[in-house]
Amino acid sequence: MKFLKTIFYILLMTFAFSCTKLEENFNSEITQNDVSNITAEGLLTTTYNSFATYQDGNFWHLQEHTSDEAIAPTRGPDWDDNGQWRALHAHTWNADHGQISGAFSDLLSAQFNASNVLQFNPNAQQAAEARFLRALSIFSVLDGWNQVPYRENLTDYRLDPVTLKGTEASDFIVSELNAIMNDLPDNVPAYTASKNAARVLLMKTYLNRGVFTDDRSNPTFDAADMNQVITLADEIINSGKYVLSASGKYFDNFAPNNDAVSKENIFTFYNQNGVRGADIRNAWYQIAHYNMDPGGWNGFATLSDFYDKFEASDERRGIKYNYPGTLPNPGNRKNVGMLIGQQYNMTTDAPLEDRKGNPLAFTREVSLRETGDNLEVTGIRVEKYPYDYATSGDQKNNDWAYYRYADVLLMKAEALLRTGKAADGLTIVNSIRAARGASPLASLTVDNMLDERGRELYWEGWRREDLIRFGKYLSAWQEKSADDPKNLLFPIPSSQLAVNPNLVQNPGY
Amino acid sequence: MKKTILLRVLLCGVWLLTFSLLASAQNKQITGNVSDEKGSPIAGASVVAKGSRTGTTTGLDGNFTLSVSSSVKKIVISYVGYTSQDVDISSGAAIKVILQPDAGSLTDVVVVGYGTARKKDLTGAVATVKEKDFNKGVITAPDQLIQGKAAGVLVINNTGQPGGSTTIRIRGSSSIRSGNQPLFVIDGVPLSGGSSRPGAGGGGDYGSDGGNPLNFINPNDIASMEILKDASATAIYGSRGANGVIIITTKRGKSGAPKLDASASVGVSNVLKKLEVLNGDEYRKALQDYNISGGDYGGNEDAWDAITRSAITQNYNTAISGGTENGRYRVSAGYLNQEGVIENSQLKKITANLSSSFKFLESKKLGLDINVLVTQTNENIAPISAFVGFTGNVVSQALQWNPTLKLRQSKDSITTLGGTTINPLSSLAYYKDKATVNTIIASFSPSYKITDDLEYKFLYSVNRQVGVRKGMADRRLNLEGVLDHGTAFIGNNEQTNQQITNTLNYNKEVTSGFNVNAVIGHEWLIFDNRYNFMNGKDYKNIGLDYYDYIQQGVTSNRNIASYASPTTELQSFFARAILNFQDKYLVTGTFRADGSTRFGENKKYGYFPSLGVAWNVNNESFMKNNDIFRNLKLRFGWGKTGNQEFVSGASLARFSIAGNDGGYSQTNFANPDLKWETSTTTNAGIDFEILGGRLYGSVDYFYKKTTDVLFERTLAQPAPNGKIWVNLDGYVLNKGWEISLTGGLISNENINWNITGNASFLQNTVKGLAGFYETGELRGQGFSDVRGQRVVSGQPLNVWYLGVFEGIDKSTGQSIYKNGDPSANKYYIGSPNPKMILGLSTDFSYKKFSATINMNGTFGQYIFNNTAATVLGIGNLGSRNIAKSILNTNAKEAVSNAPAPSTRYLEKGNYLKMANATLSYNIGDIGKAFKNVNISLTGQNLFVITKYTGFDPEVSTDGGYNGIPSLGIDYIPYPSARTVILGVNFSL
Repeated sequence: MKFLKTIFYILLMTFAFSCTKLEENFNSEITQNDVSNITAEGLLTTTYNSFATYQDGNFWHLQEHTSDEAIAPTRGPDWDDNGQWRALHAHTWNADHGQISGAFSDLLSAQFNASNVLQFNPNAQQAAEARFLRALSIFSVLDGWNQVPYRENLTDYRLDPVTLKGTEASDFIVSELNAIMNDLPDNVPAYTASKNAARVLLMKTYLNRGVFTDDRSNPTFDAADMNQVITLADEIINSGKYVLSASGKYFDNFAPNNDAVSKENIFTFYNQNGVRGADIRNAWYQIAHYNMDPGGWNGFATLSDFYDKFEASDERRGIKYNYPGTLPNPGNRKNVGMLIGQQYNMTTDAPLEDRKGNPLAFTREVSLRETGDNLEVTGIRVEKYPYDYATSGDQKNNDWAYYRYADVLLMKAEALLRTGKAADGLTIVNSIRAARGASPLASLTVDNMLDERGRELYWEGWRREDLIRFGKYLSAWQEKSADDPKNLLFPIPSSQLAVNPNLVQNPGY
Repeated sequence: MKKTILLRVLLCGVWLLTFSLLASAQNKQITGNVSDEKGSPIAGASVVAKGSRTGTTTGLDGNFTLSVSSSVKKIVISYVGYTSQDVDISSGAAIKVILQPDAGSLTDVVVVGYGTARKKDLTGAVATVKEKDFNKGVITAPDQLIQGKAAGVLVINNTGQPGGSTTIRIRGSSSIRSGNQPLFVIDGVPLSGGSSRPGAGGGGDYGSDGGNPLNFINPNDIASMEILKDASATAIYGSRGANGVIIITTKRGKSGAPKLDASASVGVSNVLKKLEVLNGDEYRKALQDYNISGGDYGGNEDAWDAITRSAITQNYNTAISGGTENGRYRVSAGYLNQEGVIENSQLKKITANLSSSFKFLESKKLGLDINVLVTQTNENIAPISAFVGFTGNVVSQALQWNPTLKLRQSKDSITTLGGTTINPLSSLAYYKDKATVNTIIASFSPSYKITDDLEYKFLYSVNRQVGVRKGMADRRLNLEGVLDHGTAFIGNNEQTNQQITNTLNYNKEVTSGFNVNAVIGHEWLIFDNRYNFMNGKDYKNIGLDYYDYIQQGVTSNRNIASYASPTTELQSFFARAILNFQDKYLVTGTFRADGSTRFGENKKYGYFPSLGVAWNVNNESFMKNNDIFRNLKLRFGWGKTGNQEFVSGASLARFSIAGNDGGYSQTNFANPDLKWETSTTTNAGIDFEILGGRLYGSVDYFYKKTTDVLFERTLAQPAPNGKIWVNLDGYVLNKGWEISLTGGLISNENINWNITGNASFLQNTVKGLAGFYETGELRGQGFSDVRGQRVVSGQPLNVWYLGVFEGIDKSTGQSIYKNGDPSANKYYIGSPNPKMILGLSTDFSYKKFSATINMNGTFGQYIFNNTAATVLGIGNLGSRNIAKSILNTNAKEAVSNAPAPSTRYLEKGNYLKMANATLSYNIGDIGKAFKNVNISLTGQNLFVITKYTGFDPEVSTDGGYNGIPSLGIDYIPYPSARTVILGVNFSL
């Protein structure tokens, strides 16, 4: 008895005082206590991926749906989505708009990821790539909101980010890009940041330097900035790496195999099924009717005024395009570009019908709130990224073309135009038009310069920026009336205002 | 040793006394039999001659013989837990006594966590629900047993899916984030609250309901459930006690000859309510009325009938129990085979349970309890997901099916439409989704009585659960991404939870009239979760299930993933003392210190005190002569409890592994100050029993303030993931009243009639929160990125935030909303939280017949009928079906009218449900073999009194957003069933 009692007392004491230290062991994640296992390389990969917002993501929506190029009509019961699409097109958003908050957050997360690469002993090229991506994120936030929260301390969440604004932010981008230029590589695939990619970003920064100020209603174009644009363009041209696509090959820049066949892509975001990338297939799903192949979500369209800017011969408006994995298309129907009128089954050439059995023929006109009997088929659809039928996975292989050679040429032409050398600019613009099958322009003006940028770069995520730089963003266009200058900047999301005392709401919101 | 001998002498003495009494000649001899309300003999009941000390106890067969002085007119028969009866013995005939259970009995022992207490000693708000009061019918998990049975406890069967999940709230929701479910403790083993049933995934829209994590428990093995509500009761569970605690006590063997109890039941279920859509002819007429040319295929088809069925449920249980004083056991086995009312869906459950209790040593001071529970559940899961968009799930596909179009072209050919309209029969035929979960909970608990008053107890338990889920979508299913591809997945989850608990119990009458019941203890819990997952795409049909040859998919479309959770450990020290002064003044003091791996570096330990006092007014001398109250007790309690339901690793900077590209990124900032959420509860209550015990009940008021609210708040960007776990400055307030009453209307030899009811009135408010957070994801066609609920200061949790619908414009057929565009003009309007919860039960018995009725209801909550909003809207006309009700409006709604999220679809959810009604007949013994044969007929969900237009107002499909759960959304759920069950049980 005594013996047993003793054993129990011992057991009791043992258990009662065998305290654990309550340390958390992670099994599938790496913690702050184990940072030696973290490499800059792994963080850099994720940083590239965090720019998915440019590819049919939130930021793309902000750049295109607020412009005269794109519209997401409410089609009866479809696409109401709490009015978010109507607010973008009609410029009636507020500080709680989901996509505005989403884009702000997406871009700043990318900034954090880029900055974080620098904390983990990157080599010179990795550091340069990370700083390029950070500059890219800063550029887009500056473009959209004018205020760029910038976090210097990456470990203590209680320290508030500082805010870079206007020209100060532009200058920061310039100084960053100049500092890293020598460390960036020359001969890398387009989806890796290169010297030429940094040059394009520098060009865009100089071109918009007089726009990206606190007051965006009066853009200025300093000659020195424009000359920088021209000099940088020449450096890219002289690198001899790029030429304009041959006739009939405009869509090579967007095809599933564009990483191999594009001659124009300077910087892209990599999409490769089973490896990495974003949801590039949405470029198809958002425009395709339910009964097309594959059935889409029957959403976005472009506007007839924009469609009318093209000549019929302009291949950018749409052609029958052959690419690896394309469907047979026995009727030789247009399968890329702007889809209008009767649509066909691309395998059998049978005319398609809508869900009510009426012909599936996309109409020229579309309104922001569709209420008619034909609401399923209104609006011209834009198919810029040829659908990758060959890849059965959800992740398609078209890389997202972000910086293109044609954009570089157009920016050079614009800089020439803005420094009184319209004739030199016209030569460049007409060389592009010739490559696309369009007739030459007689003269280059601010207006047709903007139109040409629209024709060349439509749905690539630049339209809002262009409209603001050309002073047209507040004008009335189809399904939108003229609006208030406050809309030149997006509101700071109210959720961020609440937690960051260094942000102030943009005027008018 | 001496004491033991003394005990033996005493025991022998009882028998000697009996015999000596028998021998005495001047007495008369009384014989009789005592049984319980079901007719089972009661062994050990006391039989005492009234006004004397002469008495005996009944034997195993319930029989007794007592010799009393011939002057004795009455004997008193009593047994713990039953109402005592005075029986007239003047006739001298053999006596047959049926004792009725005494629900209000003050001598009851209540399990209060790490020990027991006499009910009369309680100072906290504790509700006990015993087996006889449980809900009847097809019950897959224990929480369903107590729906409507205890005040302040809300149980929502989220959908009608067999084995589907439930929402349980004790005294309202106090957390903004998830983690409002109470802590469940089964026979001293606290559960993790999670289940190893893998989630859905891998392409296509598989069933999304997570299932009930308590499915592994066989309700038939449960003896009672205790619901600890206020801090005075739950503080002993510290950082896991804030949402209340439900203690499940399983049945134990009683000493005696082996006894076999068996029961069998078979039931038929049908859909409780069919939503009214147009039939073929009505559809044709509507097309004409709207001048729509297409859309008529000439037929008359009822797609709903094609996906639903009369489902059979079988349930068999058997238990063998018995033992001696020194070793008792109960072994049970159960089998449940529940078909769902949607074709193909099914839940099968096999359970085995062993509980045993032994005493060793000559002194019998060493005890050992061993419990083992083994369960396997097998599910065929219907393709019903709440996460689907406009392609829907099998329920919406059937509701939307164009009623003029044949579902099949021929017997073997399912009609397939192009594009995005999916035939519900395709969904049924081409989806397969199976889940198997194996659970073992074993506990080993030796104890030793150090002295008569002091007992040491050790408990080790292991809870191991392994779940496998396999699914496929056939390449013939015309769903985008599936058609001409086919997808398959296999998921494996496992969890291993272990527990070591040491307790020292002290229970003694220290001095006369001063009782101490105290416990101190130490507990260590460790939780471990792992999963792995694979999916594939692109299969040829070779007559086999894709998931059985998943390697045949295209290599680049494979996904594999594995994850092991951070170890979660909890180490605790706790103490409780219940002091009783002369049965008048009661004090309960509780303290628990909880250390958790989850807490931040600077806040490793949380401390949770509570104090409860009670005054048994009735035991005061001045109440001696009152004949109103048989019991009158005032209770008051205060205490702090915690909630630590946030993700492991939330306090540390973490880097998560991204996809298969070698990348990873920081996903969290460190917050070394992260700690538990604290609920401070004040409770005041009164217990009473009047009219000689025929009416008793309780009234409680509670005020629960939850501070340091755990939340993953928005962080100033740029930041990893944009969020960080913090303890917010704001707080959540829950306050309310609870009333429960039981009345014995009639109680005599032949008729017994009791009515029990409980009502709770709850008020919930969020205060001091900066900004607002969105949740309540509404889904379907035209509802992308639409959230209808907010968490915002000054409003109840999950308050609805919607446009206000003002009717249909007669000229345009378009909706009119208050102040225009509903996306820009939204208002806080209504709460999905019930303001009142009601439970009503009655049981009636007449001789061998008995009837029980259980009803429950909730009132004051608003439900968003998302099914009406996005599945059956007018816009479908011409391609899909619509709700009949839309056509009955005064104004003709235009086909193009967009269904914006607005109050048009927000409905009052008030309901009162006839949850179950049972009629049973006690046949008694049949021959010598079958004893106590009882047959019963039960109706479950017989009717619902409500104005709500959806399937069932008792619903909550998952609309959580960013980790903030939703409440009160009804989006094409698995429909509820009405079931009729015939059952029989008997003993051998």
